[in-house]
Amino acid sequence: LFFSPQFASSFSSETALPPNLRLPSNLVDPDRLKRPPPPEDSSLPLIRKCDAALPAHLSPVRTWVDTLESKDSEPLGLTELHPDVFAVTPRLDILHAVETWQRNYKRISHANTKVRSEVRGGGRKPWKQKGSGRARHGSIRSFPPLKLNCGVSHGPRGPNSYYYMLPMKVRVQGLKVALSSKMAQQYLHVVDSLNIPTPDSQYLLELIRNRHWGESVLLVDVSQEFPENILQATANLKTVNLIPAIGLNVHSMLKHEAVILTLDTVRFLEEKLLWHDERYTFLYPFKLPYSDFP
Amino acid sequence: RTILCFRILSCIKLCHPVLHTDLICSSGTCCQIRMHPIPQPKQVDRWNEKRSMFGVYDNIGILGDFKAHPKDLITAPCWLKGFRGNELQRLSRKKKMVGDRMTTLDKHNLEKRIRFLYRRFNRTGKHR
Repeated sequence: LFFSPQFASSFSSETALPPNLRLPSNLVDPDRLKRPPPPEDSSLPLIRKCDAALPAHLSPVRTWVDTLESKDSEPLGLTELHPDVFAVTPRLDILHAVETWQRNYKRISHANTKVRSEVRGGGRKPWKQKGSGRARHGSIRSFPPLKLNCGVSHGPRGPNSYYYMLPMKVRVQGLKVALSSKMAQQYLHVVDSLNIPTPDSQYLLELIRNRHWGESVLLVDVSQEFPENILQATANLKTVNLIPAIGLNVHSMLKHEAVILTLDTVRFLEEKLLWHDERYTFLYPFKLPYSDFP
Repeated sequence: RTILCFRILSCIKLCHPVLHTDLICSSGTCCQIRMHPIPQPKQVDRWNEKRSMFGVYDNIGILGDFKAHPKDLITAPCWLKGFRGNELQRLSRKKKMVGDRMTTLDKHNLEKRIRFLYRRFNRTGKHR
């Protein structure tokens, strides 16, 4: 991307943006936006309705349901998605918080420097305290310029961890915000299942290019066992990745342009993410058995 | 006119070969100007295995019935898994968990450092 620098003159019109706020015009692929969301009076069948009870003031989000069976096929039907998971207000601050948490909580920095007591040698006083005319020192390892291999007093110390946990509801809300943002920008697609006719990577790439899904695609399925064909097809592809629904996270959703969910995944996600809206706070960690929670 | 000339081997023999990445050019006068060529930008593969699968299973607790916790995913020395603290806390935890397996020199240095930090934090300064 190269834009010619334009200097904003004092006589510029009122509608001209300053150069640091101007967006490039090729950010959004116009072919992807050619297919509008399904209208109210669509003839295709409604495959799935929301399981959970919807609040009265919210209406479900409707999306197309596609197939991966053939490259250019019409959508099979419509699905209804719960608005409290797929149409939440886009909270960028929560997304940022969850993304930085994902980067940092696993981080262990192994940077280590030796202190003057740990550097080998340097127990003897190099010259006597008074009389030699030089600055007074206690060991050759105390500080430069005495000897090059001196100890560092305030350097990084040993393997250091940056672990912290965000509250559970913040992480859940981060997932919901990420899903809703993908939905709103039309990067989220629902598919009935991940069955492909051939284990060919080229077939997948052409399918993605025909449907204008984007450069990188994240395929999510509920179970840990995937069909053989799709495993082989995605094995050699770098930008098309396959994860189980348990592995869904904000960083992967932001890294990949398009996110493809199956109908089972949608049901699983709604069930898991909506439970946190109406639950009591825990008295002891959830991994210990509760009487009413599986 | 600039004449590019490369480094001339000096008649003084060095005990090890020296790598020169810079060029010397002289503009005709006796002073020599040293310059480095513009380095190549390093090629980073943004879609290798580690980068494309980063962060997967981070929500294993929320989405997986709380059988596992994300802190079980961290690869770290055992005294740092799911733990954060300042240096004194880290070292005392290391001594508790791994102390009897350490080498004598390491253990000695660890104890010296703990003793120093304890005295520094609890006896000097404003916050004691």
